Amino acid sequence: MLPWIAVTLNFLLPRMMPGNPLALIAGEDVNLLSPEQRAELVARVGLDQPLIVQYGRYLQNILRGELGYSFQWKQPVVDVLAQRLPWTLLLTGTSLVIATLIGVVLGSLTAWRRGSRGDVGTFIFFLFLESLPAFWVGMLLVAIFAVRWPLFPTFGATSPWETLTGWDYVLDVLHHLALPLATLTIVSVSGTFIVARSAMMAVLGEEFITVARAKGLAERQVLFRHALRNAMLPIATVFTLNLAFAVSGATVVETVFSYPGVGRLIFEAVLSRDYPVIQAAFLMITVLVILANILTDAIYPLLDPRIRGAVSSAQGAAR
Amino acid sequence: MRWHLLLRSGPGLTGIAILLALTLMALFAPWIVPYDASELSGRPFEPPSAAHLLGTNDIGQDILSELIVGARVSLTIGVLAAIIAVVIGTLVGVVAGYFGGPIGAVLMRLVDVALVIPFVPLMVLLAAYLGQSLWNLIVVIGLLIWARPARIIRSYVLTLARQDYILAARALGIPGGRIVLRHVLPGVFSLALAQFVLAASASMLLESSLSFLGLGDPTQKSWGTMLFYAQTRSAFLSGAWLWWVVPPGLMITVAVLGFALVGFALEEITSPKVQRQSAPPKPTRTKLPVVPSLPKAGVTSSTPEKQG
Repeated sequence: MLPWIAVTLNFLLPRMMPGNPLALIAGEDVNLLSPEQRAELVARVGLDQPLIVQYGRYLQNILRGELGYSFQWKQPVVDVLAQRLPWTLLLTGTSLVIATLIGVVLGSLTAWRRGSRGDVGTFIFFLFLESLPAFWVGMLLVAIFAVRWPLFPTFGATSPWETLTGWDYVLDVLHHLALPLATLTIVSVSGTFIVARSAMMAVLGEEFITVARAKGLAERQVLFRHALRNAMLPIATVFTLNLAFAVSGATVVETVFSYPGVGRLIFEAVLSRDYPVIQAAFLMITVLVILANILTDAIYPLLDPRIRGAVSSAQGAAR
Repeated sequence: MRWHLLLRSGPGLTGIAILLALTLMALFAPWIVPYDASELSGRPFEPPSAAHLLGTNDIGQDILSELIVGARVSLTIGVLAAIIAVVIGTLVGVVAGYFGGPIGAVLMRLVDVALVIPFVPLMVLLAAYLGQSLWNLIVVIGLLIWARPARIIRSYVLTLARQDYILAARALGIPGGRIVLRHVLPGVFSLALAQFVLAASASMLLESSLSFLGLGDPTQKSWGTMLFYAQTRSAFLSGAWLWWVVPPGLMITVAVLGFALVGFALEEITSPKVQRQSAPPKPTRTKLPVVPSLPKAGVTSSTPEKQG
């Protein structure tokens, strides 16, 4: 149901956009065509057909995995996406894992010491991180760590004009990854922190925690083995949701560092009216968001046996 | 409503002070700017001096003046987009929460979808197609962030609808529309206000991202637009980043933080009622806001709009 709505919207949106639909196929060259050529082109791609026929064809093509041809890159859209996706996943995926670890650990610790001065301070600090514009953090990091002290490269994912192999290549990639990764992690860590903190606060007030303490267990054990286990649900929800977002890339950060990811690709495609790329990218994002939701539903019972067999209602409650 | 509590919370008071200062700056901008912000008042790339306290940009405009005038643009977009988001959110929340039924179910499904859309790419798309104007930015941002207020207001309306005075009104046969206008909406007001302030915080951050990507209104320079020019002119490659890149970003951060501080303080003041009814009682009351445990799903969260 949801995939169908997404696909349909994806079909309708570009057709509702202002501008010449022919630009969809011929790109910027459309103005150079003679009227006869135009008519022929319209007939060839089926734009003269009723909308419903076009729609049927569109669905057919998607099922066959034919997503079209990029004007800007002069190659199949699938190939363009396949080149960008690994870089985006490397950047956003790594950042997501690091941010989640930091957020969960610090969130748990501050929930445990709630009300203390350190707790208030940490909360406000994370609120500050949340208020930072990602691109600004990136620009500052470049100015300081790539220009003032040239420790890191200023742009790209690999060194151009060099053919590195083996370890040299890996090191080169990591060297280029450092600053964008730091930027993304700094601005995204507070999301997990805030969720982890409030989930832990709710759990720490429950009776089994008091019992665990009364048994004489070490605080660390109570916190990370008993409490965290029970606070995993909301944390997992945020994680899987962010996983889906991760695929859509990080447009702003990728722009600052000219990083060849999906976010930057979408932005470039929008600017150059590269409709097939835009459509395919949005299709990919929608499908992955839906998959992430299914994954969340599948993970819930594993994390919390109490909701086994009642997944849908549990998700409803969690929302 | 216990508004005085807002003045007693340290973070809340700090936030109010920040917002007050920025608002005054925006209101009196034409009288306090040292130069006309669009005028070429100096040489290009002039470092800070007595004549230009924050130096000049690549074409010789005074950066301090741009900063002061930019407050108008950035705050206007943030506040108006937040108003759109909260008006839609309140409507959806009240309808779905009070009347429910199939329309309510459809509305909440829509909220669920809107919460999981990675919206920076979508926003980029809309902003680029609608064209670069102040109003388009406001509408695009407002239309993308209404879902979080809607969800929170709905869950409050659900508990409100079970209150005795609402039940009594219904028992008296007062029509639903009248109950909503006279009893539900006033009850929701303070919560909607908190959501408005949080939405303004999110909108300002989103606006800065869009403007930084060059999708802002070129005739109305916001802080994000200033950074767009700084980026395209590679300001960070020279010493100019200290006075051209740092100040606008600081202003954005401070403004967003100001709204967030006030928003969380308001949320804390207004939400105990909700908590007492919908969540298990907490053993001790904390000084800090208890943030709803679900993902802010990108709305104020760093996640989507930040990553994007």
